Amino acid sequence: MFYHPLRNELLKLFGKKRTYIGFGAFLLGQNAMLLAFRFTRWQEHMERLLRGNGYLAEEYVSALTVAVVMLIPQVILLMPLYAALVGGDLVAKEAEDGTLRMILARPISRFRLLLAKWVAGIIFSASLVLVLGVTALIFARIWFPWRGMFVFAPGMVFNVFSPADGLKLYVWSHLLMTLNASVILALAFMFSCFNMKPAAATILALSYLFVNLVVEGIPFFEAYHEWLLPYHFRCWLLVYADPIAWDRIIGSVVVLVAANLTAFLIGQAAFQARDIKS
Amino acid sequence: MIQLEHISKRFGRRLAVQDLSLEVPRGEIYGLLGHNGAGKSTAIGIMLGQVWPSGGRVRICGHEVTRDRGRALSKVGAIFESPAFYDYLSGWRNLEILSSYTRPTPPGRIREIIEWVGLSGREHSKVRTYSHGMRARLALAQTLLPEPELLILDEPSDGLDPEGIHEMRQTILRLHREMGLTILLSSHFLNEVEQLCGRIAVLSQGKKVFEGSLAETRHRESRVRLDTPDFAGAAGQLRAAGLIRDAVPDGNILLLNGGVETHQVVRFLVERGFAVNGIAREQRTLEDFYLSLMETERGGKRPVGGAAAWPAN
Repeated sequence: MFYHPLRNELLKLFGKKRTYIGFGAFLLGQNAMLLAFRFTRWQEHMERLLRGNGYLAEEYVSALTVAVVMLIPQVILLMPLYAALVGGDLVAKEAEDGTLRMILARPISRFRLLLAKWVAGIIFSASLVLVLGVTALIFARIWFPWRGMFVFAPGMVFNVFSPADGLKLYVWSHLLMTLNASVILALAFMFSCFNMKPAAATILALSYLFVNLVVEGIPFFEAYHEWLLPYHFRCWLLVYADPIAWDRIIGSVVVLVAANLTAFLIGQAAFQARDIKS
Repeated sequence: MIQLEHISKRFGRRLAVQDLSLEVPRGEIYGLLGHNGAGKSTAIGIMLGQVWPSGGRVRICGHEVTRDRGRALSKVGAIFESPAFYDYLSGWRNLEILSSYTRPTPPGRIREIIEWVGLSGREHSKVRTYSHGMRARLALAQTLLPEPELLILDEPSDGLDPEGIHEMRQTILRLHREMGLTILLSSHFLNEVEQLCGRIAVLSQGKKVFEGSLAETRHRESRVRLDTPDFAGAAGQLRAAGLIRDAVPDGNILLLNGGVETHQVVRFLVERGFAVNGIAREQRTLEDFYLSLMETERGGKRPVGGAAAWPAN
């Protein structure tokens, strides 16, 4: 009985042109990053950094290294924006268009409908991150050789890996990024369950994340970082650290899963209580 | 099929529906009338479990909507004013999606309904390319999937051209005749309601102000057209004798008091020397009845001359 509502949500989500426009924006962004890396002093700077730390630059300026370099700005800027856009649409857009009334004239329960939408959102997040990861690797491979991996995130990671280990960690980091995307999507989804416009749901979710970021940057709140989502969102980068801080990663995963579930439940409660009117 | 018992709904301070009770038996076409904001759509929302009632009980097909929505709506189809679809998907896909929320529908049944509503050949086109009439047909098709016993139609003819309105009316009649469906029809088109419905309820400011058969609306007040050279004099004498309640010189209309028959009026006038060239009972339209009822609800004077006697608002 859950298969059909979920299938419907996926058909609706992937039947929209807007979905693919978003994917297209990611591809453009990735290529812009790639070209900037290849044809500016960015690559030189990285080579100098590697040499300065006793590594052979030719060994580590590779497809895997560049794929991660391409990902960082996308994960910080484009992914939250896009996940929040889609999440904000999930319920509020249907309410605005009137299709929600058409659905709720049918015997499906509100709980099951929202569950299907939420699961479809998670599947969408996974597909978004999958496409992001695979295309980054493919585009990077066109310009750079398949060699060792170098990951550098100031204050968090400075590490090199063999191509096989690098690829394994690349997959792991994408699994964690899926969780990040689904939390952002769930936040917008939660707001979208209240009686508001889709754009308002998206803006509220992004504002919440922005406030988290701002608060995180204020020294007074240093002791409270663990209460803020961006701190946990960074766990995808930690898989590249040596040694891998599994306790910190597992802690962040638990917090993110809990945040996702909480957003879903708050959304459910709001949606159950509300009147659906034209 | 539909039972509302003392339903009320409050939005903040505003009472949208007050103590509404009505019953729609199986096989009937039942009309729901009322001005904008009278509470018709809220009442329909409550019937479909989309709006939570503040009080009262709603039973659809024998099941309480607030407690057992799944069973209550399993045999219900609904059309709303300006039906909404996923414009970026095909008509077929829309039907597949919407009907699957009741239960999965085999393609053969979808094809059959598409043919029935006259959308064959366009079912695989995107809905955004559909005309208003085609969207109305698609709305009807989704209502008929999978196999409803009760249709709730909220302004189904809204936005259609005269041909479309006629077609929708014929379709509703066919659905009732050929499929034996029970239909609740909320409409602003009084002539449509008059042609389709057996019984009606009229809502005003959230309250039911009338419920009864169409025949009752026609004979609730006896109006006659009197052809006499001295209408004002005749009306004055009739009023003094207690035979009429009111008279409208424009159209020579008399509103008879309860139990008074036309032959009594004629005898009375002839005995007093009035020449009576003719007297005819006026058939009241639903529009006359509705406007009269609304005016009474607003506390104004009850009209007797039909719509034409009303000043524009």
